[in-house]
Amino acid sequence: MSYTLVGRLQTRVASAVPALVLALALHRWWAIELVALMLAIGVALDLAVYHRAIRYQPGWLALPLGAVELGLVYGAMRGLGIAAPLGLAALLFCVAWLSAQVLAHAVFPRLRLEYAETGGELGRAGALTAVAVAAVVVCGLGAAYAVRPPTYHLHGVVQGPITIRHAETLVGGIVRGGIKIRADHVTLRHVTVVGGQYGVDIEHAQHVMLDRVRVLHFQLDAIRALDAGVMIDRCSVTSPASNLTTGVLISYSIGRPMSMVSNCTIVGTREGIATHSSMVDVRGNHVVGTTVRGISLSEMSMDTATHNQVESARGIGILCMDHSMCEIEHNTVAGAIVDGDSNPSRHGVAIESYFYAEAHVAHNTVIASPGGVQAFDYGTINATAD
Amino acid sequence: MVAIVGSGLAALAAFATLRHAGVPATGIAVFGTHADPTEVWRERAAAIRQERMRSESDGHLAAASFPGLALRERSLRALVGTATNRYRPSVETFLAHAERVRRRSGWDERFTERRIRSVRAVAGGFELDGDGPFAHVLLATGHPGLARVPGTVHAYEPHEYAAKVAVIGAGMAAATEWRNALAAGAEVVSIRRREPLRRPLNVPREYFSKRGLASFHRLPDVERAAELRRLSAPSYPPGPEWDAHVRVVDAPPPGFQVISATGFRKGFQEDMLLADLVAGHGLDTYDRWIVLSSDSAVPALTDETRTLSISGVAGQWAFPAGDTIAGAKYAARAFTRRVCRTRS
Repeated sequence: MSYTLVGRLQTRVASAVPALVLALALHRWWAIELVALMLAIGVALDLAVYHRAIRYQPGWLALPLGAVELGLVYGAMRGLGIAAPLGLAALLFCVAWLSAQVLAHAVFPRLRLEYAETGGELGRAGALTAVAVAAVVVCGLGAAYAVRPPTYHLHGVVQGPITIRHAETLVGGIVRGGIKIRADHVTLRHVTVVGGQYGVDIEHAQHVMLDRVRVLHFQLDAIRALDAGVMIDRCSVTSPASNLTTGVLISYSIGRPMSMVSNCTIVGTREGIATHSSMVDVRGNHVVGTTVRGISLSEMSMDTATHNQVESARGIGILCMDHSMCEIEHNTVAGAIVDGDSNPSRHGVAIESYFYAEAHVAHNTVIASPGGVQAFDYGTINATAD
Repeated sequence: MVAIVGSGLAALAAFATLRHAGVPATGIAVFGTHADPTEVWRERAAAIRQERMRSESDGHLAAASFPGLALRERSLRALVGTATNRYRPSVETFLAHAERVRRRSGWDERFTERRIRSVRAVAGGFELDGDGPFAHVLLATGHPGLARVPGTVHAYEPHEYAAKVAVIGAGMAAATEWRNALAAGAEVVSIRRREPLRRPLNVPREYFSKRGLASFHRLPDVERAAELRRLSAPSYPPGPEWDAHVRVVDAPPPGFQVISATGFRKGFQEDMLLADLVAGHGLDTYDRWIVLSSDSAVPALTDETRTLSISGVAGQWAFPAGDTIAGAKYAARAFTRRVCRTRS
């Protein structure tokens, strides 16, 4: 199709209707923000690039252009700090892209016979639809802005512990003694927590986001989530104050929205990342020098562990345990260390399924780990060949 | 009352579009020389042994472009082909679909076998050979006749191949003849005035949409005519399946069968009905074209109460690829918009 500029813009905005409806149905501000972001990037590309560079757009070009836009939207989402769960955000983008294809190739040409020959212009109805979509998006963004949780910027060192009981965003600063989160829609961004029994302690809350949080010198767990839905991204956990510590512990959260731990660096704890009776996506983390296990997915959890690097874990690198169901794929486990002679399940095992757990294992890299990939005590491993 | 003058592909496209827009069949009269709207085209396609259309998935006669012929074929290969602009429907597929459009639209009930020789504007519309008036008339008279070269067989007439064949022309029909004659084992030479262009469709793609048409419509008459002449240069699609190694010669060598793939006579002057219309109403013309508004209507005879539109090759002033299915639909949709606007 040879789009006119007006045709491109009208088609772009009118095609956003399904994604916008889905975003409104999700009842999440991030979804509306994401649709607005997709539209803004798409319109900018239409104006600055596509109209000039693409005089005729064959059908296949929608795929590479969609991939480019996905990359730009993802980058902008991260840059602007839109707290969207990656899976749902990708789903929303896919819905928007697919519906745009269906609308442009099937629906619009049926509703308006001259759609193609007018270069994608939708006439009066299209213009009205575009205005309506823009109005809803602007109103949605306005509402999101109006009811957004307050943001507090911390400066210097704050003596804690701090307890958060309302939706809010904390940015920056150093908090001594830990932070307790007891409310939904709390975000910590660029906060450093020093000391405390728990560095960040989250209970009975969801839509909690920890973005680039550093935790040091904690007594038990650097980040502890109990009955919570939490997104933890790019955290740093180092220098524990005892031998009994866990980097990230998410427990008994199966009734909450799925949690995610991604791109964190965890060094020198007893366990790196541990889950109990939860649904957690453990992705892209770097876990180093744990003294009991690198990543532990346990107690009837339903978890995925993908693209993690586990180095020098004593005993076990990645463990799926106790009736849990785990997808363990594309991880690298290097240098798992033999922990004594008596227990074969701690014999430098890279990936282990233990006690009625079911682990689906695929495309992992195991280096210098004498225990390899094993199942013990009725655990099972379903392996896909690399 | 709406009238369509002509009974070819453009006429059927217009009839289907009017019906799709809700115009009742009883409100449309079709006058032409062939009850089967595909007959003339089918015979020409058969003469050159054409197997595939030059048009793409949306090159069909139904009102809406979706679903196209690729989707109707229900094959993944066709769908991938259409996404990559490599799909060309077979002549068989096109004709089968055209037959369905004809049947479903009620064409046969509204067709009258009658050659119209005169169109005159009168109060309340137009009279066709004295009958009427019809408030809205679409002229879809098609090509005015074959451009023959004396002493040769025309490509669009049934013919077999001799052992030695000379093909005059360099367009789509000529390229088809080269391929077929070579496949039949003949020695083939080409006689041509110009080297053919290689492009997928009759005209560059932007001329099928407003993006290219808007600037075309803004051209002054002299430049628009020059552009139409430039676009009428012979062309056929790129791709190895169209590559044929034929020797180019200046004149037919002795002993060669000569096939003239020289297309059709050009210009409204060659069409008796259009020539009479122009003379009778003193219509604006430029060179061989009748000057039309961008929606294919004749400006001097069209207003809020009546419409005279021209479809097909004679409508090139509004749509350069007028003699394509896209051109037929362009005129049909614009005509339908005017009809519906007036009816409502």
